Amino acid sequence: MKPPSENHELIRWLDGEMNAAERAAFEAQLAQDPALNREALEMQALSEGIRAHLPKEMVVPYGDFFNSQIQVRLAQMEVEEGARSSRFSASTVWQWLRQPWFAVAGAAAIAVISFLTLARDGHQADSQILSSYTPSAQVQARTFHDSDAQATVLMLDGLDAVPADRKVSGLNVHHSQTETEIAATSLYDASGSRLLTISRDSGGNPFFWQTSPRG
Amino acid sequence: MKWPHPVLFSLVICPWVIAQDAAPSGAGTLPVAKPATEGKVWGALIFATDDAAQLTGSQEKPPASLPKLNERLSKVFSFKHFEILGQHQQDIFREYESWVVPSRDLFLKIDSKGPADQGGVNLHLQVWREQQVLVKSEAVLRPGSPLFIGGPKWKNGRLIFVLSLEQK
Repeated sequence: MKPPSENHELIRWLDGEMNAAERAAFEAQLAQDPALNREALEMQALSEGIRAHLPKEMVVPYGDFFNSQIQVRLAQMEVEEGARSSRFSASTVWQWLRQPWFAVAGAAAIAVISFLTLARDGHQADSQILSSYTPSAQVQARTFHDSDAQATVLMLDGLDAVPADRKVSGLNVHHSQTETEIAATSLYDASGSRLLTISRDSGGNPFFWQTSPRG
Repeated sequence: MKWPHPVLFSLVICPWVIAQDAAPSGAGTLPVAKPATEGKVWGALIFATDDAAQLTGSQEKPPASLPKLNERLSKVFSFKHFEILGQHQQDIFREYESWVVPSRDLFLKIDSKGPADQGGVNLHLQVWREQQVLVKSEAVLRPGSPLFIGGPKWKNGRLIFVLSLEQK
């Protein structure tokens, strides 16, 4: 006789896992094998006795520890799986490296990367417009960087044109002097003559002084 | 040489020193302590046009730190001629506002917001056209990388403001 734990057919019969045909065939075998039949009856009685004395649901003792151990094991399995994948990847890469054409392609790639790295190191960072606000709704501000011009552009669209008959004149400012006490900046030409003085009026708008604010 | 008597010396010199302290400074000769700065910017008002006859004849030149300025402007603004109408090199004050005024018609107010990563300076810019602010921007200005501001049309061309951070 097989040990009970090794008689899979008997266990399946006890657990009710057999279909009708399997159950009929196994019970016919029980009828012909008194020893097996006795073992089956003992096992059945034992099983029913256990079911009768144990609750259907039990709290797993040290459940947290149990769960943590499962998680640890799952993590170990993932690591082992990853190591297998790495070994596979490494061997695949090594096969690529052994290809004759790879040396040429690799040299070209290194040259390109080196060029780009050197170009990047020699390239200064560009100016940037981070945000813009146009108080007038009819004016739109567009910003972009123009690589050819090596400049950052803030394009104001929708501005009213300056009348063609207006004389737009420039100032050639040689130096300036700021009086922080009165928040005024005076601009001077190369001869030292004052071109203008700018400060802000009570409304915060720029104000050009015709004469020095100090008199 | 014989020195004057100490009492006489005090009677003459002390009132003079006191008078110097109390006297108002003369016009245009205020004692100015230079405020702390973050660097310098060069600002210019430029007239771009296709019609050479409309140029004003200004002979202003850009600084050496901005080579090929006209060529670079032409990459962005499709005009044949670029003329500097006015220019102004200005300190960027750390604590105070700075005005860049190459023209009364179009000028900038700058407030420093401190040094920028990778060099340059963080700025709050305001572009003014007389009494109207056209745009307010937060910007990072870096040396060698000018800011081109496309302004209003004038005649058959356009006014452009160029702002560039000078190398320290």
